[in-house]
Amino acid sequence: MANTLTWIDRLRIERVVWTLDQRLYDIPHGARIAHRREVRQNLLSAAQEVGTTAALRNIGSTAQLAAAYLAAEFGDRPRHSWTAAGLWAATSMLVVTAVLADAAKGFATGISAANPHTTGTYHWGGLSLLQGGVTVKALGGHTTVSGGGLSVAGWALWIVIAVIVGRLWRAPGTWRRRAQPIAAR
Amino acid sequence: MADHPHDPQLLKGVLSLLLLALLAQRESYGYEIVRRLHATGLDGVLEGTVYPALSRLEREGCLTTRLVASTSGPARKYYRPTAAGYAALAAGTDSWMTLAEIVNSELSQPIPDEPSKGA
Repeated sequence: MANTLTWIDRLRIERVVWTLDQRLYDIPHGARIAHRREVRQNLLSAAQEVGTTAALRNIGSTAQLAAAYLAAEFGDRPRHSWTAAGLWAATSMLVVTAVLADAAKGFATGISAANPHTTGTYHWGGLSLLQGGVTVKALGGHTTVSGGGLSVAGWALWIVIAVIVGRLWRAPGTWRRRAQPIAAR
Repeated sequence: MADHPHDPQLLKGVLSLLLLALLAQRESYGYEIVRRLHATGLDGVLEGTVYPALSRLEREGCLTTRLVASTSGPARKYYRPTAAGYAALAAGTDSWMTLAEIVNSELSQPIPDEPSKGA
């Protein structure tokens, strides 16, 4: 006999579907949406038959399910992760931006502290390797900071680490294998 | 529940073949295939194992799909084998039969209490 699903049952299923979806971001957009819809539909069918708790238990952990879908899409070989690279890129940029801004602000604060009524233009080379030059213009103790962004070497380092974190050198091989007919692999 | 639980590693090796065989008999959507597998006695097979296996077979060109409207929710994705799928099923069946014959032949030998010493 079919179980009637309450909105709480549907929310529980949606939670699993969207948790799975978050783990499938490395799969091409269309395929990810197709997996999401199919899993939702299958879970709804299972929940109507055996109940939501049993349906969610039978599908297993979303981590393992996502790993199996990723292996189905890309094969069992080690692969790249755009998610890992993107997470690194976004998080590290937030931290680095905050550090560089604090460093430039610290330089300006130091100038004001040394001479509260100073007037002139002051230059600092920035944090070694990471930061471009910082220029502070002071007028009667009021300071304006310019520059101090990420240096060319800093950008290069950021990109290299993103490539390493996401194992992005594997991406071309993965794309080639996806494009090949299975028999040719 | 089956009296003897099936070894997941053994099942993993033949799951694709089983899926192709079931779908060659009748096209089905994901959860229906799981129910059909359970009905054969393989009630330890989890849905989380079957859905990615179907996805892999589709990706490999062995299965094709079509969406069928459902009265009880979103449209269902029905799977059925392609020509490549039927070829893979035939080749896999031959391979399995040969292997099973060899394994059965060996396993059906009487087992002595103590293994005899080599020459």
